[in-house]
Amino acid sequence: MDFVPGGELTRRIREGDVSAESELIRQFEPGLRVLLRRRTGGDVGLLQDLVQETLLVVIQRLRGDGIDDPAKIAAFAAQTARNLAIASLRKTERQRTDVDTEATDRNADPAPSVVAITEDLEAALAVRALLRELPQPRDRLMLKRFYLEDHDKEIICREMQLSEAAFNQALSRARKRFRQILEERGFTRRDLLSSGL
Amino acid sequence: MNQQLIEQYVSGKMSEAEAEAFEMFCLENPEFARQVEVEQRLKAGLAQVARGSTSEFVRSGNQNWWKLALAAGVLLFVTMGALLWQRTAAVHPNLLAAVANDTDRNGPSMRLALVRGADTTPQLPAGLVRVEIAGLFEPGHEYSVVLDRLSRQSTETIAAVYGQRPSSSVTLEVLLYGDQLAPGAYALHVLKNDSREEPLDFEFVKP
Repeated sequence: MDFVPGGELTRRIREGDVSAESELIRQFEPGLRVLLRRRTGGDVGLLQDLVQETLLVVIQRLRGDGIDDPAKIAAFAAQTARNLAIASLRKTERQRTDVDTEATDRNADPAPSVVAITEDLEAALAVRALLRELPQPRDRLMLKRFYLEDHDKEIICREMQLSEAAFNQALSRARKRFRQILEERGFTRRDLLSSGL
Repeated sequence: MNQQLIEQYVSGKMSEAEAEAFEMFCLENPEFARQVEVEQRLKAGLAQVARGSTSEFVRSGNQNWWKLALAAGVLLFVTMGALLWQRTAAVHPNLLAAVANDTDRNGPSMRLALVRGADTTPQLPAGLVRVEIAGLFEPGHEYSVVLDRLSRQSTETIAAVYGQRPSSSVTLEVLLYGDQLAPGAYALHVLKNDSREEPLDFEFVKP
């Protein structure tokens, strides 16, 4: 663990220490992105909004009332994120059922938000680069079957005549290269420290 | 925590209680969470690419496919002619890149600025060009730079770089591989990440 949030950190945040807030954001942002990605159905604009909103709620809470048991900051952050995701989902559902659908269709903006377009493009561009680089066509098909068709490893290995070790090695290579591509292009350097929290 | 658990989580094969415990572990271990996010994005990216076409998954895997593609390419070239070929912008994943070091600053450059009433459009020099974008930027914040090819009929996005930090409060720099662009009009759009601010738009011409 990089850092253990605890009484010292909460005290510093309560006293208005901005660097303590930055530490907290660095600690929790990656995990919140994982948690919220699962709950935002691929809407990355919403994901980013909810991550920021969650961090804002946590920091405001620590600046004010604080949390009784500082060791439970992570649990508080996780629950806040889940609640915000549920609230957002409910809001979307309400909008779907309450609006004048004909008027909505007439005035629909066909373009999704800029943020959503950007993020989708990032992952897709990196995947395209990865697929171009993979030397074996077999590796590309393996990725497709494993990630998109959710086939079991055993079945893939049997049908593609691969040992499990070879399968894991190819998969690991693909993951590593995908991460490298993202990093080379600056796709993973996220930093909310200057986002106005 | 091992890779198998990451795969189970990302593919939705965990119970809700298991998933919540997994998420707590992610919150407490940011580097592990980054690893999980890469897996999530890989799956999402593959799904997005597959929505367009599954050909990218089998490309070059089948020799007959290549022969067919080659024949189609030759036919296309002959029938469409060199003119159309020249007008078509090359779609290249590395058209745009971040300025990484001082060596990148030694080559040709082009400055893009919003100048009211300007009647000339900047021209892109040949080679690897450092594009210096003038504007008001927030140091430390990240920006995305998107390159569009402009034509009378449509605008086509051909490249993008993300997570770019300005080199000063008034300058943001990127590298552009100009030789890979077909002659024509282009626009660079600069968007501030995590912000609803309007993008900055700059047009230029590749002679």
